Amino acid sequence: MKQISILTIAAIIAINLCTTGYAQLNDAQEILTKVDEVSCAPEDQYMKSTMILVDKSGNQNERKMVIYQKGGDKRLVRFLSPADQKGISFLSLPNDLMYLYLPAFRKVRMIASHVKNQNFAGTDFSYDDMSSFSFAKDYDSQLIESSDTFYSLKLTPKPELEKDYSQLKMWVNKDSFVPSKIEYYDKNGNLWKTLTFDKIEKTGKYQIAKQMEMKNLKKSHSTKMIVNEIKLDSGLSDNIFTKRNLKRIR
Amino acid sequence: MNSKRFFLAIAGLFIVGDWLFADNGVSITGYIQTDNRIQTKSNKFTWNENRLNLRLEGAPSDKYHYFSEIRLRGFGFPATSRFSDLQMQEKNKVYPWGLEFREAYVDLYGFGLKNLDVRIGRQVIAWGTADALNPTSNISPDDLEDIFNFGEKLGTNAVNASYYIGDNLTINGVYVPVFTPATLPFGDFADAFSAPMDLPPGMVVRRLSDKIILPERKPSESSQIGLKASTNLLGYDLSLSYFKGRDDLPILSKATITPVDMIGTVDITTELIYPEMQVIGGDFAGSIGSVGIWGEGAVYMPEEVTMTTIAPSPITGQMETTQTVALDDEPYCKFVLGGDYTFKNGLYFNGQYLHGFLHERGKDELNDYFTFRLEKTLLNDKFKIVPIGGAVAINDWDDVKNNYGLVYAPELSYFPSDNVELNIGSFIIDGKGDNMFGMIKGLDEIIFRLKVSF
Repeated sequence: MKQISILTIAAIIAINLCTTGYAQLNDAQEILTKVDEVSCAPEDQYMKSTMILVDKSGNQNERKMVIYQKGGDKRLVRFLSPADQKGISFLSLPNDLMYLYLPAFRKVRMIASHVKNQNFAGTDFSYDDMSSFSFAKDYDSQLIESSDTFYSLKLTPKPELEKDYSQLKMWVNKDSFVPSKIEYYDKNGNLWKTLTFDKIEKTGKYQIAKQMEMKNLKKSHSTKMIVNEIKLDSGLSDNIFTKRNLKRIR
Repeated sequence: MNSKRFFLAIAGLFIVGDWLFADNGVSITGYIQTDNRIQTKSNKFTWNENRLNLRLEGAPSDKYHYFSEIRLRGFGFPATSRFSDLQMQEKNKVYPWGLEFREAYVDLYGFGLKNLDVRIGRQVIAWGTADALNPTSNISPDDLEDIFNFGEKLGTNAVNASYYIGDNLTINGVYVPVFTPATLPFGDFADAFSAPMDLPPGMVVRRLSDKIILPERKPSESSQIGLKASTNLLGYDLSLSYFKGRDDLPILSKATITPVDMIGTVDITTELIYPEMQVIGGDFAGSIGSVGIWGEGAVYMPEEVTMTTIAPSPITGQMETTQTVALDDEPYCKFVLGGDYTFKNGLYFNGQYLHGFLHERGKDELNDYFTFRLEKTLLNDKFKIVPIGGAVAINDWDDVKNNYGLVYAPELSYFPSDNVELNIGSFIIDGKGDNMFGMIKGLDEIIFRLKVSF
């Protein structure tokens, strides 16, 4: 099964235009599987992005990074700025393998799963959000509402998985199977984070969300991710997604 | 041109280079750091360092990458003792400063063979999966100048080749042509790694001098090699390694005790050497459930070192020579086991058990250590607090009360903006007996650091 991540859906909402006009689906899990498939449509992706972190006082910090992704289960993220984070690189591989390269220590280090739910480099995305996973694989889906334009789904983590979220609510465009908003609820059932997708523009045969925003309601903190440059289906080599490449600069 | 002017020329090149090479993908980064420490017992400043660290790096193509790091620092305190010291052009005595050529290497990717990467030049080679304390990492010499920053390494000239077989096996071979010794703590902390010298009752040392004997600069004496194979099996990173070279810490091989009067006053002259050794090591990293775990162990096989003592016979008064074993050639094993975990509330814990510290050698000389660190970030990562951090040493489990060492190192960091870190911390040291912390007990310090990256 192809795997995807939030970033795949959000920053790279890749709608294969050839697949428009899906039949109406009533099975919630089938809808979620379609979301995964649509989001994974590009063979590979390369993008340069800017993350803008905004605290409750309106103070902003900026992170720049390049992201390589192949399929739904291989991703490499490399920080370009700020200076004290430059060169820090993160590799996500199938079977939940994650590696971090910290230039100051000159070592590639395996990341254990306890880190997955922690913030990624001070952003409102977690390592889990930045790594590759499948909604359909990780969540059981329940159809709450079906309007003219959206499916509204309630996702609950599969019992064997350890997630910090008790449930997700996802609004999925009926015509494209692209989510427009996701709400994340904590273990007590309180709304914790919201993820919204904006500036959806056509790039090649896909449509790309050039901007998205994750808001952490508990911290009154948000992270806006802006895609500055993107290349799809450019034939990225598997060699990019290796520990060998992790510590190389580009 | 002296070395410091050469450094300034290089530093200037770094700065001009940023403008000159901007379009060629050359990256110039670094940091400025000030580090000041005061000893609470004596109420004296013990560390006064201002550092400019520069890194130049570039990868003009997929075929190669280059990197260099230099460090300019004002370090220490005014040492003027004569009027002429105030008139020196280089101001060395007024404000001691120096430079350090950390690294300068070139990476050649796919060198000759598609799956072969070679790094040539001065470089830091760090092996092992444990945090800071790595029994398998013996190629780059230890930089123990700052005793509270163990795990730091010096650059060494080397050829470092990595061959990748498939996706999951890496063979790493290293050749170091010339041996480089480790640096050691200075001042009050010099005692941490030095076993106390046992002198006969009544003997008083007037003058103590030492001589370090480096290996000859020929391949058979001075060169070192390392081999490592790494893979991932069942979700665990594993490696096996072999090292043949020398211990980077010296050991006493000869002492000449010369009486200077009839009441027991003596001069002592010592010689120290770097013993040869072979090390077979292995390490792993992975997780059990959601807890990160790692382990690293190494069997050290040193050459036997004989200690020659030339001293007056207590019976005849004539100088006589005796020989004892300073370092047995019996293999001994150092190892580390560690783990880390992040709790739901964001509290991070890291702990390690270590058998045999960096400077300890010989089966009967290895002590047990526990290192621990609990940290938490607050207010959107603006603050990081380490309420509990430090290490415990036990050198005799049968009498722990009289044979323990303890370092407690709480710390608070503040990040007012990206690239800026303010840090205040302390080291509170206690202990009894013949162990590293016991020998520097009471030398508690408060530390203040400011670092700005660019």
